[in-house]
Amino acid sequence: MKEVIAIVRMNMMNKTKAALTDAGIDAFFAHEAQGRGMGFVNRKLVEGAEEGFEEAAVLLGEKGKLYPKRMVTVVVDDSEVDTVVDTIMDTNRTGKPGDGKIFVMPIPDAVRVRTGEAGTASIG
Amino acid sequence: MMIMIRAIVRPEKADDVLAALMDAGFPAVTKYSVTGRGKQRGIKIGEVTYDEIPKTMLMSVVRKEDKDFVINTVMDAARSGTKGAFGDGKIFVADVEDVYTISSGVKEDAVAEEAV
Repeated sequence: MKEVIAIVRMNMMNKTKAALTDAGIDAFFAHEAQGRGMGFVNRKLVEGAEEGFEEAAVLLGEKGKLYPKRMVTVVVDDSEVDTVVDTIMDTNRTGKPGDGKIFVMPIPDAVRVRTGEAGTASIG
Repeated sequence: MMIMIRAIVRPEKADDVLAALMDAGFPAVTKYSVTGRGKQRGIKIGEVTYDEIPKTMLMSVVRKEDKDFVINTVMDAARSGTKGAFGDGKIFVADVEDVYTISSGVKEDAVAEEAV
C-alpha cells in the first residue's frame, strides 16, 4: 500500500475530487494547509527594483510568504498509485509555479475501524 | 532518496522555524494546524485538564543527505529557551518514494540529483 500526499491549489479541489471519482478512486482525505515552495520571482518586480522603485524592492522581500493550499491524502494499493498520481497531476497542472507537489510514501498497514479488517481489504 | 520531515511545534514558534529554514536554504515547507497531547497527558491548569493542545505541524520533504541539518535547524529554532521545555514538540522522519512537481510533471528525484 502507498500513501499519496498531494498539495494542490484550493480552487482545484472540486475538479480534483471529480477526476479522482471518475478514475475510480473513491476514498480520500483532505485538509487545509499553508505552504511555500522553492519560491518564484515576479519579473516585473525585479525589473522595478533594479530601476530603483522602493515599492518593488519591498514586495520582493515577501519571499517567505505562505500560500493557502489543500493537502489531499489518498491511501491506495500499489497498483493504483500511477492512476492517482497521473489523475492529480493532469487535473491540477496550469504550468505555473504553485501547482503543488505529490509525495508517494509507503504505508505498512491499514485497518478498517468498523470491521477490523487489515491490509488491502481495508482500503478496497 | 527523499525523506519527509514532519515537525510538531508550538504555534508561536512556527514563524521562527519557518524563518530559520528559509535562511538555511530550505524554503519549501507546508504548515497546518493540529491538536494533540504528549507524554505529559496534556496540561493541567487548576482543576481543568487540557488534553488537546493546539500545535502547528510543519512538513518538508528534503534529500536524505540534508536530514540531520534540517532536523537540527528545526530543533534549534523550536526549542524554548536554551534548555527546552515540555511541549516543544516532536520531529518525525519518514521515507518518501517518489516526488512529483505538478506544474512541470517532472519526477523530482532526477532533478534533485542534477542540482547537486
